[in-house]
Amino acid sequence: MFEYLLKYPAPVFLKGRIIFLSAWPVWLLAILIVVFSASLAVLTHRRISDTVPKLRNWRPWVLWMMQSAFLSLILLLLWQPAMTVTALNSQQNIIAIVVDTSRSMAIQDQDGNSRETAALDLLRNGLLAGIEKRFQVRLYRLGKDLSRVEGVSNLQPVETATHINSGLKQFVEDTADLPIGAVLLLSDGGQNSVEMGEAGVAMETLQALRNRRLPVHTIGFGQPELRHDLEIENVSVAPSAMINSRVSAAISFVQHGYVGQTAKITVRDGGKTISSQEVKLVPNGVLQTEPLYFAAGSAAGAKELRFAIEPLAGEENLKNNEVIRPLLVSDKKRRILYVEGEPRWEFKFIRRAEDEDATVQLASMLRTSENKVYRQGIANQSELADGFPVRPEDLFGYAGIIIGSVDADYFTPLQRELLREYVDRRGGGLLFLGGRGSLSDGGWGTSSANELFPTFLPAGRNNFHRNSATVELTPDGADSPITRLLDDPSKNVQRWKKLTYLADYQDAGSPKPGATVLAQMNAGRRKLPLLITENYGHGRTAILATGGTWRWQMSEALGDPSHDLFWQQLLRWLIADTPGEVSVSVSEHTLIDEGNLRLTAQVRDPQFQPAADAHVTAHLIGPENTSAWIDFVPSQDSPGLYTASWSADKPGGYLAEIVAETEGKQKQEIGRDVLTFRREDGVAENFHTEQNRTFLQHLSSETGGQYWKPDGIKDLAQNISYSEAGISVRSTNELWNMPIIFLLLLGLSVGEWLLRRRWGVI
Amino acid sequence: MKLSQIAVVSVMAAVCCAGLRGYQRVADFGFGNDDSPTNIKAEFYWSRLAYAPNLQGVSSFGYWRSYAWSRDYPKADRQFLIAMHRLTRIDGRPTEQVVTLDSDDIFNYPWIYAVQVQMWSFTDKEAKRLREYLLKGGFLMVDDFHGTEDWENFMNGMRQVLPDYPVEDLQSGDEIFHTLYDVDNKIQIPGEHWVRTRRTYEKDGYQPKWRAIRDDKGRIIVAICHNMHLGDAWEWADDPNYPEEFASMAFRAGLDYIIYGMTH
Repeated sequence: MFEYLLKYPAPVFLKGRIIFLSAWPVWLLAILIVVFSASLAVLTHRRISDTVPKLRNWRPWVLWMMQSAFLSLILLLLWQPAMTVTALNSQQNIIAIVVDTSRSMAIQDQDGNSRETAALDLLRNGLLAGIEKRFQVRLYRLGKDLSRVEGVSNLQPVETATHINSGLKQFVEDTADLPIGAVLLLSDGGQNSVEMGEAGVAMETLQALRNRRLPVHTIGFGQPELRHDLEIENVSVAPSAMINSRVSAAISFVQHGYVGQTAKITVRDGGKTISSQEVKLVPNGVLQTEPLYFAAGSAAGAKELRFAIEPLAGEENLKNNEVIRPLLVSDKKRRILYVEGEPRWEFKFIRRAEDEDATVQLASMLRTSENKVYRQGIANQSELADGFPVRPEDLFGYAGIIIGSVDADYFTPLQRELLREYVDRRGGGLLFLGGRGSLSDGGWGTSSANELFPTFLPAGRNNFHRNSATVELTPDGADSPITRLLDDPSKNVQRWKKLTYLADYQDAGSPKPGATVLAQMNAGRRKLPLLITENYGHGRTAILATGGTWRWQMSEALGDPSHDLFWQQLLRWLIADTPGEVSVSVSEHTLIDEGNLRLTAQVRDPQFQPAADAHVTAHLIGPENTSAWIDFVPSQDSPGLYTASWSADKPGGYLAEIVAETEGKQKQEIGRDVLTFRREDGVAENFHTEQNRTFLQHLSSETGGQYWKPDGIKDLAQNISYSEAGISVRSTNELWNMPIIFLLLLGLSVGEWLLRRRWGVI
Repeated sequence: MKLSQIAVVSVMAAVCCAGLRGYQRVADFGFGNDDSPTNIKAEFYWSRLAYAPNLQGVSSFGYWRSYAWSRDYPKADRQFLIAMHRLTRIDGRPTEQVVTLDSDDIFNYPWIYAVQVQMWSFTDKEAKRLREYLLKGGFLMVDDFHGTEDWENFMNGMRQVLPDYPVEDLQSGDEIFHTLYDVDNKIQIPGEHWVRTRRTYEKDGYQPKWRAIRDDKGRIIVAICHNMHLGDAWEWADDPNYPEEFASMAFRAGLDYIIYGMTH
């Protein structure tokens, strides 16, 4: 019908450009249309309503519109409109037919046939022959990469990955000298690197196609949505953890067909389930994210954790219910310097809590008398022998610092500046405790170190009180890893409310902008912040405005872990992000179907200045006895930054140990770091198995092609010829003799006559 | 007056006297008016353990033995606190605190001192509370018991509290003797009787025994001063006839024990 009325197929109008063959200027046409329409309007206004009273209100203007349209159409035809469109020359161009041969194309949808079978049937049953009538055809298969094949029979869905973006880009590069007229892609649109809801068409791929003006026509296979399925979308978990620590993860998934039902999410280490939780499923297609907590375990090393959502009855795809994430459990001992100005119970019980944590060592200096300092946890007799360090290399070796009931005046201005540098530049953690010599009572509010505090300290020196105070969490503290005594946030809040009261409290003032209050105290009728944290420079600072948490240990039941757990978590937070002399990051901790990765090492000297003349190497070990040594290359732009590229060729888990040494004959180790990553081949093909129609439509529309459904390709062979790529010719198609023009003219005239007759004005 | 009336009046008088005596004994348990030194809030409270005595071997001195926990109380405590304030940065209350195992209030005082511990006895509930106190992080110093028989009686109570924890002799290099002062050349610290007898021992306790019980982490939770009387040395430190050598050693050891208890 379309072609009958408009004479030409739709692509002529969609891809063509309208021109006027008349020599008369187009602006004259516009002016004439306006003039004629205006004249008719004047006549209508002056004459018709007076002479023909029956035609009042809107009726004369309906007639005016019809007359104006009739005249405008006549004028338009006088200018000889036409469509100019570019079409491929027959037999001179190549149509590239690209068939997705990834394993997801082997999925059998509801009709019992695989997607690949449906695609091949489509080609065999006329599509290929239709295209070959006018064009040469090249067949390609697309999986991890693109390769040419001879004959449809050589297409099998066995590839472990789909890289449509890189495949198309490769195609454009490989066929630069060929007259490719268009690309026809038969695929389910599943791409390994595309997350849910993303179009996934890379800009560089689009740009390459646009430069060649290559339209990509797509035919989509597979159901756009599974009816019964649970699919893990993502698992967010830190790549490393300390031994015996509590690790939190967020598992995101979607479901179709199980709304309101209960599913079980689990974490397994080897064959052992280390955490599980039942969750109620939200509506279809809605991304659901649930927190999950588990113990890192007491053994150090690289682990492969399996995060799974247990299958429900009738699930169509069971392979997308589990993902693996690498986790490096470290037993590296980090040291914290604790400076205490007077013997007090808090000191003792903090030390006892940390005795239980094998990864943290407290080196403490306690002022027992005016002139005596009692040191504990020291590495050797010279450590802290001269009191609080005065040199960066002595202080910066600690991953965290705790300052207890110590007056600000105990530190020299140089030491206070060193503290600031420690947090700001070195990136360390600094914790201030409440006490009779702490915070404002210790004169810190008027000291040069005032800016380090996460609160505006109150005035005066009478803000510490040996009175009881109960505690409660703020909303920020309910699920903070520092204050998490129980995994369930609501139960955690209740647990904190039931903790026995603090022995004392201190008014720490009001939080600064950017600070976070995790817990507060009920002291009499006042609510005061108890635990406040803040990022400062590269590091972090915190205040715990009491010296009386020791009552949690003495007054809770024997074996209650609250006191020790809180302190262990607080001090682990204090040092967790404190970098070592060597800190290494990897471009991806999970490599999907390809092994290229980039390692970046930041190397610092003992004063934590960038070490620009280091020799950095990495030893990588992996599956099947893979072992490799690689050298890092120093960055030309950033001193102390070193990079290395490597390819993990085999799927499995890898461990990399990076060592930085000084250059020269007498090499001395600066530091080392360890990380883990994992390569997965073929796993991503099990995810997002439904047809990614959004991707295919986006790819087509952005390149001038069209998205087709398998059962609607009748016009594909003809449509594909309208392309500006390859060897093409521009044709001009006159429009004046389109049947629809005559029908319109006739319709307007007859319509006006009928209206006049109906309104009795003939 | 009939004999029966005389008997009733006598009993009532005896009850009143006993009650008054009892009140006098317990009235100064750390409570006073608001301005009293006993109401000062501090970080450290010198806490003396009051316990019910076992009455084995009660002789004519049995009455006094029933208050064995209060030996040298409160002068020894206060003299020690004076020294503690003078020689350390501990924020301590100038007066002592008496604690019992009757209630959980003892958990507010993580350092306690007990004397004449050959006389102590515990109910199962008290023993359990003291065990929990020690395992949670509390520290107990025992003093002023002498000889073999006293040791056995002390251990009867200790085994009830910590049946699986052995007692060991402390060495000079142990950390507890080096927290504030280096107490290397330890001597036997006698009680006030030395002034009259010139003997440093009592009963058959000829040798001083510096002993301890440790927890699972090796931290001392019970410090035992057997065949010595540090409390008397503190109490009589201002007596010109009591040798300074004994008093100094007692103060140094006591302060080391407190600092150890507040740091381990």
